[in-house]
Amino acid sequence: MAVQGRPAARTGRRWRSGLRINRWAWLAFPTIVLLVVFFLAPLVLMAIRSVTDPPNAGLSNYQTFFVSEADVRVLGNTFYIAAISTVVCLVIGYPYAYLMHVVRPRIAGLLLIAVLVPFWSSLLVRTFAWEVILRDTGVINSLLMSWGIISQPLALIRNTLGVILGMSQILLPFMVLPLYAVMRRIDPDYTQAAANLGASPAKAFRRVFLPLSLPGVAAGTLLVFVLALGFYITPTILGSPRETMISRFIADQIQQRLDWGLGTAMAVILMILTFVALALASRAVRLRDVFGSAEDGA
Amino acid sequence: MKPWSRTIFSTVVVSLLVGACSSGGGTPVPGTASPATQPSVPAASQAPASAAADVCTAPNAKSGTTLTFASYGGVYQKAQRQGWLDPYSKLTGVKFTESEDSANATIKAQVESGQVTWDVVDVGNDFGLDSNSNVLEPLDFSLIHKDEILPGFVGTYRVADITYGVVLAYRTDKTNGQTPQGWADFFDLTKFPGKRGMYDYSAGGIFEIALMADGVAPKSLYPLDIPRAIKKLDTIKDKLVFWPGGAKSQELIGSGEVTMSLMWNGRAWSAKNLDNKPVAIQWNQQILTADYLVVPKGTPNKDEAMKFIAWATCAQNNAAPSQFIPYGPTNKNSKPQADKVPDLAVSNVNDTTAYFDDKYLIDNAKSIDDQYNAWKTK
Repeated sequence: MAVQGRPAARTGRRWRSGLRINRWAWLAFPTIVLLVVFFLAPLVLMAIRSVTDPPNAGLSNYQTFFVSEADVRVLGNTFYIAAISTVVCLVIGYPYAYLMHVVRPRIAGLLLIAVLVPFWSSLLVRTFAWEVILRDTGVINSLLMSWGIISQPLALIRNTLGVILGMSQILLPFMVLPLYAVMRRIDPDYTQAAANLGASPAKAFRRVFLPLSLPGVAAGTLLVFVLALGFYITPTILGSPRETMISRFIADQIQQRLDWGLGTAMAVILMILTFVALALASRAVRLRDVFGSAEDGA
Repeated sequence: MKPWSRTIFSTVVVSLLVGACSSGGGTPVPGTASPATQPSVPAASQAPASAAADVCTAPNAKSGTTLTFASYGGVYQKAQRQGWLDPYSKLTGVKFTESEDSANATIKAQVESGQVTWDVVDVGNDFGLDSNSNVLEPLDFSLIHKDEILPGFVGTYRVADITYGVVLAYRTDKTNGQTPQGWADFFDLTKFPGKRGMYDYSAGGIFEIALMADGVAPKSLYPLDIPRAIKKLDTIKDKLVFWPGGAKSQELIGSGEVTMSLMWNGRAWSAKNLDNKPVAIQWNQQILTADYLVVPKGTPNKDEAMKFIAWATCAQNNAAPSQFIPYGPTNKNSKPQADKVPDLAVSNVNDTTAYFDDKYLIDNAKSIDDQYNAWKTK
């Protein structure tokens, strides 16, 4: 992410020279060691386990997965729910980021904080808060029922609606921030020029601003979608078993069934499909722009 | 960019990173209920030490040993601590460290990696039979009084430490003055409208209670007729609210989110007596089951672990935790405190009581679980 760009803002030009990078490269060493030891190695071990547990398993764990009605359905659920959450985040996040872009910087700062404040509390706490709000005896239903507007509780939880509400709220910052980062870099002179040349504000937005903001859309969409694929607790708490996502099944295999061969195979399948999604996306957008948007015009 | 907005932006980036890490994992562990007023003195262990120096009264334990005891935390583990660990420490000088996250997977992981740090583990009835022999030590029955344990509640690798019931709990304020008589009423949405709490686990009783509701006798549940159970479950599927653990079941019935629930009797008792909710238990057709003590294979404290297990399952010690939580003894000769007796599952056994067939459930775990998952995600 943009982290490495920040401290160098004042000395940006020197930072870019090859000499400096070489001299400071050793700073990345602990990170690389950490990644290899605690991320890459376990990943490889996991992949190995998926074909060696039970001994001589070969691809049998993968076969078990794909002939299981529930496993395949839950894999489908996972991508379906991730896709809806992403769309919802985009629909809410784009106008929001645009608003941040057009208002005065101080207001934009406040809007940014509004997106981020929920972010500073634990995901579990927020999910339980949603539960308290949405359930049959929750805030919304008990208010509406005490006012006599409804006689039966509305089905707000333990369905797709509850899951999407919870997930979208949690994922929204990952959409808004890349969008805002890209929008900030769009030179206001372009839209100004379009207006001078006779374009209506709507047309100027559609023909000039929107296309320029598309890298942000791609970045946010990809980020949110990939993160959503791994969701586990939120769908369990706010959804019904019909909204079960694959991470939950992986956890069941590991913790409850002790079938680590199948569990790791499921994890590898999720990982491969995530890479496939990224590969498909990379044909539409440069992944470097998504995950390494360092060069913002500060 | 202005300096202050620069600050905000870097904060953003940092919190994104932090958030990304926190959004993935963790198990939902809702807080456990706080224990109510409790008797302060653990009574059961104070048997006279002058009796024959056997494992029940004067265990030949090595003072200064530290045993690690793993159980399920909350009020449950607190009761075990007050009933067993503290008195045993006082008696023998053995110290305990505790883990509150007992899990079959952790035992497997510890044994596989050769880093066994748990000495005595409290596990559910779905663990500890011969199929887990690769990760467990056989128990030492020269110390453990096997013949005093309730029949069916002791095996080569495990001995039950507490009994409990999987029961029908209901809200007395939402059943129109009627009492649900058994699982058939649990499935009767006309007579008893409202949602139903259910343990989200294929071997936690869901199929058994559906079959009993459909008229299968408690003694004839096995082998499970799962298609029949599923057909019955479909009639209330939209009203089911699944809970992942005991605390959640207590909260669901306490808030009135469900009007009835399959529950562990201790949790129903807590909803009524600790949370003061209008909750009652129907003991008919309860499934009587147990938690078990096991010893992970390769623990360096094997001998001391065996002595403690033998001591905790002795007649005079086994009922001690039931003073604090209504989970009953497994030793036939154990006498719980009189005022606690009515709340114990073992005291409410009758002709309608069912029992899990643990061997069947463990041997067929994969098939049962696959059918359960296929049904519930549909």
